[in-house]
Amino acid sequence: MKPSLLNRIINAPYILWSAIFIVIPLFIVVYYAFTDANGALTLHNIFELKEYKHTFLISIWYSVIATVITLIISYPFAYIMSRKSVNKQQMMMMLVMLPMWMNLLIRTYSWMNILEKTGIINTLLGYMGLSPLKLIGTPGAVILGMVYNYVPYMILPIYSVMSKIEPSLLEAAEDLGSNGFMKLKKVIFPLSLPGVVSGITMVFVPSVSTFYISQKLGGGKIMLIGDAIERQIQTSYNYNLGASLSLILMILILISMAIMNRFTSSEDGGIIV
Amino acid sequence: MKENNNIIELKNIVVEFDGERVLDNLSLAIKDKEFVTLLGPSGCGKTTTLRIIAGFIEPQAGDVLFLGDKINGVPPYKRSVNTIFQRYALFPHYNVFENIAFGLRVKKTPEAEVKKQVSEMLKLVNLEGFEKRNVSKLSGGQQQRVAIARAVINKPKVLLLDEPLAALDLKLRKDMQNELKNIQKKLGITFIFVTHDQEEALSMSDTIVVMNEGKIQQIGTPQDIYNEPKNAFVADFIGESNIIDGVMVKDFVVKLDGREFSCFDSGFEENEEVDVVIRPEDVDIVPPMQGMLEGEVTSLTFKGVHYEIIVDIEGFKWMIQTTDEHKVGETVGLYIEPDAIHIMKKSEYSGKYGDYSSYSDEIDMLNELEEDE
Repeated sequence: MKPSLLNRIINAPYILWSAIFIVIPLFIVVYYAFTDANGALTLHNIFELKEYKHTFLISIWYSVIATVITLIISYPFAYIMSRKSVNKQQMMMMLVMLPMWMNLLIRTYSWMNILEKTGIINTLLGYMGLSPLKLIGTPGAVILGMVYNYVPYMILPIYSVMSKIEPSLLEAAEDLGSNGFMKLKKVIFPLSLPGVVSGITMVFVPSVSTFYISQKLGGGKIMLIGDAIERQIQTSYNYNLGASLSLILMILILISMAIMNRFTSSEDGGIIV
Repeated sequence: MKENNNIIELKNIVVEFDGERVLDNLSLAIKDKEFVTLLGPSGCGKTTTLRIIAGFIEPQAGDVLFLGDKINGVPPYKRSVNTIFQRYALFPHYNVFENIAFGLRVKKTPEAEVKKQVSEMLKLVNLEGFEKRNVSKLSGGQQQRVAIARAVINKPKVLLLDEPLAALDLKLRKDMQNELKNIQKKLGITFIFVTHDQEEALSMSDTIVVMNEGKIQQIGTPQDIYNEPKNAFVADFIGESNIIDGVMVKDFVVKLDGREFSCFDSGFEENEEVDVVIRPEDVDIVPPMQGMLEGEVTSLTFKGVHYEIIVDIEGFKWMIQTTDEHKVGETVGLYIEPDAIHIMKKSEYSGKYGDYSSYSDEIDMLNELEEDE
């Protein structure tokens, strides 16, 4: 069916918006990635990427760890939250959302304050007569920063799927002989999978491309892809290498999202979020 | 003490939700292989009773016995009962086959056995060829069948059915009533069926348990319940009833509307005040002078099989079902056979039911209610 004129008029602003702010910038990224400083076509930037192999692997590795930890924290939390009374659910939701009212920078600076050599934890350790720990500038601190900042993005989609699971389905499972574990395995987990998948995507993507968290909590020693891109564009003014790094990052994210989506849409009866 | 063949016994069950008493000292014995219906208006406690048997609710007081053994505190997954839920509660992430196989899979039954039993079940509920279907794409009747198969594949001793037909349309409901009854006979297990539909209860049950306000009002066969209701609530809830104040003059003689009628009831005290039940279909309409009572027709409704007319007799409005048409304003005589009269002791429900004064003027009644508030 051909869309009516009215339909096209209504859609026009969105199409225009997408064109200006999504499609054109994408083309610009691709253009820069395959040209040199003078605008001549080249594959030089792409070849140079092999220097960044380690950075890519580290970024992916840290993000995977952060995503797994986030999932381990969020899944039981979302389940417990979805089984509480409406009032308690709202309160718990508030608590999850509360840190997000603050800017990411401020939250990360606060963690610096806590983890620093002269920070809160080490000061307390000092009072107890213990030697200070090296907390900041470690991979652990970076991963902690990712987990802390992105945990709400994991909790919310899982919670929203879980709160839609009919209590009668759990009763039916129990009635048909399932103990608590079987109920989780055969009913709750499969039904909450779409939420898990979108949670993983929403945590993994910003983690793998972050630069701020790694800069502040990595103490300048840990460089992720985000940092590499930032350095090329802000410090070296090498827009072309920056663009090719971004392009590869984008392709990476697309591949991982495609893999994740297979989990939800393959079986019949799967739910689309 | 297992000589009696009671499969389930409830003894002095008390359930309160937020301080509100939902079941009030309820005791009930259910015999093996019976089709028992718990019947009552919404909020009477019938679903709560079912959930206690299933194990989803623990009573605050009282015992639940299964084949003579106390099963309080036994979780649902360890009880040999299965439930058919009101909205079926089919698993949306499994197809028809996997839904039915659920109970067997949980028990880690070998694959060949699962296949064999599921196909038997599909045959039982007439759903052969539906194995791979998505349950959310099935019609209400088909979903119902899947729910039945999913429950009975576990070979429960008791099947609990929580208003399973409420979501189906009338024609389908009638078919499913027959089918459920046949399945029950074929399997030879106990069915405990919850409904608020008195017709459904009368046509399906071996035993009906009429409930109201957390208490059992009457237990009996459909015939008992209909012909010999114990109180005004039962008489009114099961079918239509004219319930008139009367006085038992002596055995087999009752006086109502200033006239003595002979009846088949005895065992009351002399001049004891009683409730008299006369079913609308048991009253014959005769010419005014030949009747035992006389009154004016105030409304007439065509119901297909018969007319439903309201006759005003000294201020009390009777409902009468007749195949003859009568005009509003016509004076008619009423003739009542002795076996049409049923006498009940006075109860807390006396005077609350069985008068059709407001029947044809529902709007007036609503107005009155508003004024009362």
